Amino acid sequence: MDAPSYAFADRAWHGPVRVAEHVRLARDTYRLRVECPVVAQRIVPGQFVMVRLAGCNDPLLGRPLALYETYDGGDARPAGIDIVYVAMGKFTRRVVVAARLGDALELWGPLGNGFAPRTAKHLVMVAGGIGQTPFLALAREALGQRRYGDPPRSAPRAQRVTLCYGTRTSDLLAGVDDFRRLGVEVQLSTDDGSAGHHGLVVDLLRQILTGDRDGLRVVCCGPEKMMAATAKMCRESGVRCDVSLESPMACGVGICFSCVTKVRDGGGWDYRRTCVEGPVFDAEQVMFD
Amino acid sequence: MSAAGMGERMPQDPNVDLRVQLGRLHLPNPVMVGSGTFGYAREMAGLVDLSRLGAILPKTVTSQPRAGNAPWRTVETTGGMLNSIGLDNDGLEVFCEKHLPYLRGLKAPVVVSIAGRDYDDFVGMAARLSREEGIAAIELNISCPNVSHGVDFGTDAAMCERVVRGCREACGFPIIAKLTPNVTNIVEIAEAAAQGGADAVSAINTCLGMAVDWRRARPLLGNVMGGLSGPAIKPIALSAVYRIAKAGVKIPIIGIGGIATIDDVMEFIVAGATAVQIGTANFYDPTVTMRILDQLPAALEELKVRSVSEAVGLLLRRQKLAH
Repeated sequence: MDAPSYAFADRAWHGPVRVAEHVRLARDTYRLRVECPVVAQRIVPGQFVMVRLAGCNDPLLGRPLALYETYDGGDARPAGIDIVYVAMGKFTRRVVVAARLGDALELWGPLGNGFAPRTAKHLVMVAGGIGQTPFLALAREALGQRRYGDPPRSAPRAQRVTLCYGTRTSDLLAGVDDFRRLGVEVQLSTDDGSAGHHGLVVDLLRQILTGDRDGLRVVCCGPEKMMAATAKMCRESGVRCDVSLESPMACGVGICFSCVTKVRDGGGWDYRRTCVEGPVFDAEQVMFD
Repeated sequence: MSAAGMGERMPQDPNVDLRVQLGRLHLPNPVMVGSGTFGYAREMAGLVDLSRLGAILPKTVTSQPRAGNAPWRTVETTGGMLNSIGLDNDGLEVFCEKHLPYLRGLKAPVVVSIAGRDYDDFVGMAARLSREEGIAAIELNISCPNVSHGVDFGTDAAMCERVVRGCREACGFPIIAKLTPNVTNIVEIAEAAAQGGADAVSAINTCLGMAVDWRRARPLLGNVMGGLSGPAIKPIALSAVYRIAKAGVKIPIIGIGGIATIDDVMEFIVAGATAVQIGTANFYDPTVTMRILDQLPAALEELKVRSVSEAVGLLLRRQKLAH
């Protein structure tokens, strides 16, 4: 049996947070900036926080949201974090209202393992839907533009970082300029052809994989089918791929056992908690149905 | 700080005695955490001062490993959540090797929650645990709605009494029976647990429930039905505690069900609970137990009592006076 390594919430902070900024990035997509210096100083790319409407019984539970980016305060130290979300469900629609009215939000984090710093000449980030959110901070770190964590961790520098980003339609593409500003090469796809490649985001990855694969590293986040296709393509090309899973969670800290995913274990499999054993997994370990 | 107070992280209010007694089980305070809502405690070490808790109940353990149910395992509902985790755990031996050493190193009392397939399985687990040190009590999970096979120790009084007696004879630790609300008369099951020698009953486990996606015409939970918990079930839990207390069942009650604030805790205590378990609130408010512990002495003082035990069942005593 593989010995699982756990990313428990040992350095998590829990408390009310003030909304510092709330900006619409696309049709239903928003960037929420919240003040939480302790979290911002400790968090690394690929980690997440749980956000809840303070004192609210409906919706009752918090929701896991990935770190998009940290921002600095006056003292040039991280003062808070940006989170990018789509307002499409009961919770997220209420967050839009709460952010406008200045209603209190509660937050706990940083949570999860995050992306381990890995050497790569070319980092390719494959995102579908709202799956681009964990990649902005990762790109910034890989390009040597920011260090994350407390103490700040060092990460090997990549020569190139590419974002392959697909959505159903162009209205849903969010934060593309944030990536371009860092120097990330952005390739887009839409299901309806309204922007970029008319087709699937994995078509873009396929093109890259047919080129120079030396020092290539792939990370992927998005709908399960798309992650499964990415994982398969990378396996066939002999390229390392890490996936960041988006499982529904109740607690985010490993106590409820809701967010389990099937992970290979010896010759069989076992359910593992996405929150404390992930959300980032080696794609080879994950059993996509 | 006086020498006697050294090492005490919590500023104890000298005017209020928080200690409670549940049969042979003595707890430093009545604020426990419910099994299945606190992992194996290690998960919460960074968020909560575990040493302050009245008792810790790790996730229910079964004799053999169980993978648990297929996702989705939880669904949020109005004011609550449904779960069908299905007692995902690595089995009793792994529990004793991997989790118990950590748990017994904590200052808080540890109550081990067990679920057996049948009578022999329950009693065998109790006997196995009796060889372990650092266990304050055993809670018999005779009420999980997600693993039932039609016959339940939680719904049949005679079966309940027998399994409690068997476990009590098999091990020296205090025994708690955790009751299900999914019965016609919970008082009858509580009586049976008392007859069998339980030190306390805990009430309630989750209420059977379901959530449906009508557009796809399918259930939302992987296991179709699950257990409802959270603030939505608090009135049901309160009435269960009240009925058991009012019926004069001779053993103490641990109130469980939607407890999320100090007011909730006090409501359960005056309705007849000697202690409480915080469950689902740990999921959405991970430091809730610390806040409740901070607020408990003042709430008791507001009732003009000097101890938790004076407040237990106050509502029933007031009712008697009124008649």
